[in-house]
Amino acid sequence: MKPIRTLLSSSALLIALLLTGCNQSTSDEKGGAGSKKLVIGATMLSMQNEFIVNVHDEIEKKATADGVELITVDAEHSPLKQVEQVESFIAQKVDAIIMNPCEVEASSPAVAKALAANIPIINVNSETSAKPSAFVGSDDVESGRMAMKFIADKLNGKGNVVMIHGYMGQAAQIKREQGAREVLKQYPGLKLLAHQTGEWDRAKAMSLTENWIQSYGSQINAVFAHNDEMGLGAAKALTDAGMKDKVIVVSIDGIPDALQGVKKGALDATIFQNAEQQGSKAIETAIKAAKGEAYEKQTLIPFQLVTKANLSSFLKP
Amino acid sequence: MKNGLPPSPSKTTLSYKTRFGRLGQYGLLIAFLGICLTLSLITPRFFTVQNLMIIVTQVSINALLAFGVTFIIITGGIDLSIGSMVAVTGVAAASFAHPDTYPVVVPVVIGLLAGLLFGAFNGFVITRSHVPPFIVTLGTMTIGRGLALILSKGRPISNLSDSFNFIGGGKILGVPTLIVILIVAFIGCSVLLKKTVIGRYMYAVGGNEQAARASGIPIGKVKLVVYTLGGLLAALAGILLTSRITTGQPNAGQGFELDAIAAAIIGGTSTSGGTGTMTGTLLGALLIGVISNGLDLLNVTSYYQEVVMGAIIIGAVVLDSMNQTNKN
Repeated sequence: MKPIRTLLSSSALLIALLLTGCNQSTSDEKGGAGSKKLVIGATMLSMQNEFIVNVHDEIEKKATADGVELITVDAEHSPLKQVEQVESFIAQKVDAIIMNPCEVEASSPAVAKALAANIPIINVNSETSAKPSAFVGSDDVESGRMAMKFIADKLNGKGNVVMIHGYMGQAAQIKREQGAREVLKQYPGLKLLAHQTGEWDRAKAMSLTENWIQSYGSQINAVFAHNDEMGLGAAKALTDAGMKDKVIVVSIDGIPDALQGVKKGALDATIFQNAEQQGSKAIETAIKAAKGEAYEKQTLIPFQLVTKANLSSFLKP
Repeated sequence: MKNGLPPSPSKTTLSYKTRFGRLGQYGLLIAFLGICLTLSLITPRFFTVQNLMIIVTQVSINALLAFGVTFIIITGGIDLSIGSMVAVTGVAAASFAHPDTYPVVVPVVIGLLAGLLFGAFNGFVITRSHVPPFIVTLGTMTIGRGLALILSKGRPISNLSDSFNFIGGGKILGVPTLIVILIVAFIGCSVLLKKTVIGRYMYAVGGNEQAARASGIPIGKVKLVVYTLGGLLAALAGILLTSRITTGQPNAGQGFELDAIAAAIIGGTSTSGGTGTMTGTLLGALLIGVISNGLDLLNVTSYYQEVVMGAIIIGAVVLDSMNQTNKN
């Protein structure tokens, strides 16, 4: 028994040595070819969110093209986790950090820590109260304004609107509501009939709209949903009730499904938030900052109103 | 409503327990009717055929999950993975439901099969490892969510065929399909629980596992069956949800397990096992739905809705524990 066991364990050891040896040689090759490869760490709000996944895809694409090593981690909506992830990036001595913040306040310590360690940190898509090295994103207040302005124009400034919020208290929800209410103030003829959260969720928004239809019926002239998922849910409820052609539905983000929705007439408009540009600008800025080159402190990527009229330029083949 | 009450309990040693379950249910039924009456008085929009139909439609997915959970809780177990199963099975079904690819049975069968396997896996690990179901299903909850994200690459799967979208979004003779499926599932689950040997075994296992083992009941098999049933019903819910919102979403069903457990508990299923009925669970799910619908009709902020819902869950559990003490 014993000799067999010794043989087994020694051969296992040998294989292990060989494997690590192989690994060693490949990483040596890598190091040799790229001389000093830039390393950028990215922490994303949630890789379960389609929009964020799209932003990240662009970051990754550009990083690969430019020969930058990208380390991506998912904060899973937890600001605490995000701060820890940035700490670990600092410990790994990355050359720059891209952060897609979970929360305005709670993610702020991450910014302070990175700056204290002299590592440039670029916030993408949403803001923190602490000022990062650079910000790349869009102004959510503007998107709320654009959506409500579209409704006001369509209704000639007179009618009843319902609003479906995102998760209450999140930056995007607060700002989109703020923008919408600014426009509502300018149009005294527009009345906010009801507003309630749909938690960014299509099924929840659909149920909510079904209930509102029972409650207000034909009084509803327009629906503004804080994101496309919820807008599509509201549109489904209105279609099922045979009311879609009488009610305007507008939502924000311009996800592929929403573009299809505009095409089919389920949505009257979506406010396109450019994930590709946010991603590519973020990584561009990060690379410049890592190399010590000059970079833009703030890059605002404008929202764009998508209706049937200009849809073709947004639909990907 | 009265016709929906459980059939008179069969003459087993467990009947006194189920009778106490029924006592709790009468309280629940009264509370339910009271809330319905109040809402009808406050708003004329509540008690209309259309609104009632909408409530049942909105409730159906949670009710299906709650039926599965009821089987499991009756045996003294718990399943936290059903919400993730909704996502996995929904995404799996959606992947095969694009127009002009496969006939509509293919996505349905694939979804159900995925749920069946997932549930059976839960049951297998629980019976073989003797690790508490809470821990096992906590693990599979995370695994399931990961699988849904892997299958869908983190993006919703849309562009589904009309025939697939009909399953959860269509109407049969003016009645939403979800309601029809709910009624069929309710009858099936009730019969299984009340009228079959395996159903009585479930009560026995949850009532007193040692005694059940001593009397030769195949405990492992019973548990395997309930978790598999839980998986199957979660798959049904996942397919219906996907069809209703016409897209398979990897983050669908988050927190659904808690709503389903709440429905079962409000309906008089005891978390200590051995007690519970499908009628009670259905009533529990309807109560949650009525309150949520009523508060939406009255335009009450969702913050208050959550407080009300929490209070009702605690109330139901207090009622249940009072019944337990009375019994002793």
